[in-house]
Amino acid sequence: MTVTGRFVALVALGVVPIVVIGAMPGPAAVVLVIWLLLAVALGSVDLVLAASPRNLKISRVLPSRVRLGEAVDSELYLTNTGLRRMRGLVRDGWQPSAGAGDNRTSVLIPPGERRRVTIELHPFRRGERRVGEVTVRSFGPLGLWARQATLSAPGHIRVLPPFNARRHLPSRLARLKELDGRTSVMVRGQGTEFDSLREYVQGDDVRSIDWRATARRNDVMVRTWRPERDRRVVILIDTGRTSAVRIDREPRLDTAFEASLLLAALATRAGDRVDFLAWDRRVRGRVQGAQGAELLSRMVDAMAAIDAELIEMDWTGVPAQVRSITNQQALVVILTSIDAPGASTGLLSVLSQLTQRHRVIVASVTDPLPLRAIESRTTRTEVYRAAAAERSLLDVSRVSAAIRRLGAEVVTGSPAELPPTLADRYIALKAAGQL
Amino acid sequence: MTATMRTRRERAAEGSQNNAPSVTLTLRATGRKWLFWLTAGLCAIVVSLISAMIVTGADSQGLSLAADNPAPGGGMAVVEVLRQQGVTVTVARTLGEARAAAADSHDSTLFFYDEEGYLGDQQLHAVAQLATRTVVADPDFQALRTLAPGVRFGGVALEEDSAEARCDLPAAANAGTLSPGGGTLTLPDASADVSSAPGATWTGCFPRGNDAFSVIERAEGRQTLTLVAPKEVFTNGSASTYGNGALALNLLGVGDSLVWYLPSLEDVASTGPPPLGELTPGWVTPTLLLLSIVVVAAAVWRGRRFGPLVAENLPVIVPAGETMEGRARLYARSSSRLRALDALRIGAVQRLARATGLSRAASLDQVVQTVAEVTGWTTSDVRSVLVDAVPTTDRDLIASSDRLQHLERATADALNSFSQGRMDT
Repeated sequence: MTVTGRFVALVALGVVPIVVIGAMPGPAAVVLVIWLLLAVALGSVDLVLAASPRNLKISRVLPSRVRLGEAVDSELYLTNTGLRRMRGLVRDGWQPSAGAGDNRTSVLIPPGERRRVTIELHPFRRGERRVGEVTVRSFGPLGLWARQATLSAPGHIRVLPPFNARRHLPSRLARLKELDGRTSVMVRGQGTEFDSLREYVQGDDVRSIDWRATARRNDVMVRTWRPERDRRVVILIDTGRTSAVRIDREPRLDTAFEASLLLAALATRAGDRVDFLAWDRRVRGRVQGAQGAELLSRMVDAMAAIDAELIEMDWTGVPAQVRSITNQQALVVILTSIDAPGASTGLLSVLSQLTQRHRVIVASVTDPLPLRAIESRTTRTEVYRAAAAERSLLDVSRVSAAIRRLGAEVVTGSPAELPPTLADRYIALKAAGQL
Repeated sequence: MTATMRTRRERAAEGSQNNAPSVTLTLRATGRKWLFWLTAGLCAIVVSLISAMIVTGADSQGLSLAADNPAPGGGMAVVEVLRQQGVTVTVARTLGEARAAAADSHDSTLFFYDEEGYLGDQQLHAVAQLATRTVVADPDFQALRTLAPGVRFGGVALEEDSAEARCDLPAAANAGTLSPGGGTLTLPDASADVSSAPGATWTGCFPRGNDAFSVIERAEGRQTLTLVAPKEVFTNGSASTYGNGALALNLLGVGDSLVWYLPSLEDVASTGPPPLGELTPGWVTPTLLLLSIVVVAAAVWRGRRFGPLVAENLPVIVPAGETMEGRARLYARSSSRLRALDALRIGAVQRLARATGLSRAASLDQVVQTVAEVTGWTTSDVRSVLVDAVPTTDRDLIASSDRLQHLERATADALNSFSQGRMDT
C-alpha cells in the first residue's frame, strides 16, 4: 500500500477549513480531526476500489542477444485477469547495467484485456543481464491510495562484446586476398601450395612459367600459388587476476576479446580452423570446431559471460589444454599480460613445452601511461615517477626477451593498437608460410 | 446482465490461475510472519505496564501532607480519621477554593501547609482571615513574618528526648508528648508583640529548652492561629507515634468542618506580558499538527520503494599503473636517488643504442663512444651523464635527469641533421 501526491495535497488542504472555521482552539482541533478522518475514509474507499495488482498475467518478449553499445526493446505484455479496471504504474526490475533508465510506465488495462509495455534497454556492461520482478502499483478511482505488489516475471538478455575491432577487418581481408594468386617466388615457401594455372601476363615472373602446361595449351602458362589452408589456430585467453587490470578505461580482458575476435574472423576467412579457450584455473569458455559466421557468434556468446577473476593463472595446465584441442602443429596465440619477471615465471616455465610443437605468439596489452610518465620530469615527484616507469618498461622488455629466447613471438600494443597489430602479425606469418 | 457478469467472473477465475506469481506477501501472510514479534511486543508492553503500576503503588512520591497521599509523607491518615469522626474535610488547592470552602461554614478550621512557599504576603494575610482556627504546619520564614510577627525559628530540637506538653492548651495537654526532634519556634518579645498584634495572647507548648517550643498558639478574640513546627505531627508515617496523632486530631477536629489547604502553582500571581499561547490564534496549533501529518504523508508518498532493490555483481577492475605509482612513492620516501637515476639511465642507454644503430648487445663503452662522436660532446661528459655522476640531493637528481634528457635530445637532433644532410647531398 502507498499514498499518492494527491492524498498529501488533500491532507494539506485541511488548512483552509481549520483557519476559516477554527478561530478558537477547540473547534479548530475538531475540524482537524474531522478532516483527517475524512481523508483517511476517502483513501480507504479508494484502496478498496482499486484493482488487485496480483490479478495480472505477465509475459515477456525479449531478444536473446544484443551487442554492447546497441539498444534493444524489451516488451512486457500485461493481461488483467481481475474484474476491475486497472489504473496502474509498472516498473520492470532490470539490473542497473541493463540501462533501462527510469522505467515507470503508466498503464490502463480494462478487465480481461492485454496491454504492452515497451522499454528501451541500453546495456552498458557485457554479460548476462537479468530481470526478476515486475512491480505494479494499482491506484483507486480517486487516485489517493494505491495497492502495490511485486510479481515474479524472470527474463534475461545476453550482452555480447562489442567487437569494435571489426572496423579493421576489411583492410586486413583485402591484404589477405592479395596473398592469393601471387606468382612471385618471393612468397613461395613451405607454407604455400599450388593454386591454379593461368595465362602469362606481362610482368609475371618468368620463373613461374609452367613449361609443361605451356606445351599442352599452346600458350604461355604460369603457375600461381596461394597460402596454405586448413592450418590450426588456437587462441588462449588468460582470465586470471592480471586481466582485471584496466588500461585506458578498458579491462585487459576486453582488449583480449577484441583482438581474438579480429584474429578469429580473419583466420576463418583465410580457411584456417580456429579454436578458442578462456582459462585461469579452469576452463571458463571453449569454442571448438566451428567455422565462419558460426565461429564468431559462438565466440562472442562464450565471451559474454566471462569476467576476470582475482585468482592466479594456472600455467601448468595450459599445455594439456592445448594438447586436448589439437595434436597437430598449430599457431597458439596466448593473450595474457607481460609485466614483471616475477609474475611471468609461470608463463616462462611452460612456454618451452608449447614452442616445441607449435608456433607461439604471446600478445599483451601495454600501458601507455609509463611512456607518458618518462617524458615529463620537472619536479621531484615526476622524476621518481619517470624512474619507476622506466623500471617497469625495463621489466616488460626483460620478460619479452625471455619469451623470445624460448622461441615464441611477442606482440604488444595499447588497447587500440593490439587487435590490428596481432592481425598483421598473423598475416605476416601467413604470407611467409610459417604457420 | 447476470449472464454476462457470470461469464466475466468465470473468465476471471480461469485467468487468475495463470497469474504471475506474487513475490509480495499478502496482508494475511505478512501478519502471520510478524505474529511472533507482534505478540512479543504486546507482551513486553503489558508486562512493563503492570510492573510500573505495582512499583508506583508501592512507593509513590506524592505531595507531602496531601489529603489523598497514602505514602509515609502524606496526610491521608489524619484526614481519614477526621472524616470518620464526622468532620467535613474539604481539600483545596488554590486560595479561591479555600476561601469558598471556608465560607460554607461559620466555624471552620483551616489546615495550611505551604511547602514550596507559593503564597505572597497578601495571600498569607488572607489565609489567616479565612477561618476561625488556622493551623499552620512547618511555617517558613515568610509565613512567620506575615502571620506571626515576632515569632522566630528556634533551631532543630535534639533527637534524644521526646517533648512534653507543659502548657494548658487542651489539644497539647491531651496529646501529652511529641516525637523527638523536629523544628522549634520561639515566643515573641513582649514589646514586639504589642506593636504588631495588640490584645493577642501567646502560648508555647512542648518546650525544647532555650525558650523554644514545638507548638505556639496565638489567640486573638475568637481567632486562633496555631503554628506547629514539626510537620511529622500530621504525616502518615509518624502520626501513630507518641502523641502526634492526638495533637493533630485535637487541633483539627474542633469544628465540624476542616479545609485542607495546600497551595499550588496556580496560586502564584502571574506577572509580565501574557504568554505566547494566549496571543496566537486558535488555529495555529491544529495547523502545525496538520502540517506535521502532511510531512509524514509526503514522506510515505516519496519514500515508498517501488519494488525491491535489484542486486548486481560488479566485475573486479584494477586500475593500471598502481605498481608504478607505488614504486615511485617508495623511491621518493626512501630517497633512493641513485637507484632512480640508474633506472632512467638504463632506459636512456637502450634508446640511444637503438637510435645510433648499435646492436642490443653493444657494451656501455661502445654506446658512450658513439654518442660522443655523434653529438660532439667529450667522452667524459657523456660518461658522466650516463654513468658516473652520483646525485647527493634531490636537486642533483633533477639536474641529472634534465642532462639525460638533454643528451637524448642532442643525439636525436644530431642524427636528424645528419640524415637530412645526407639526403640533401
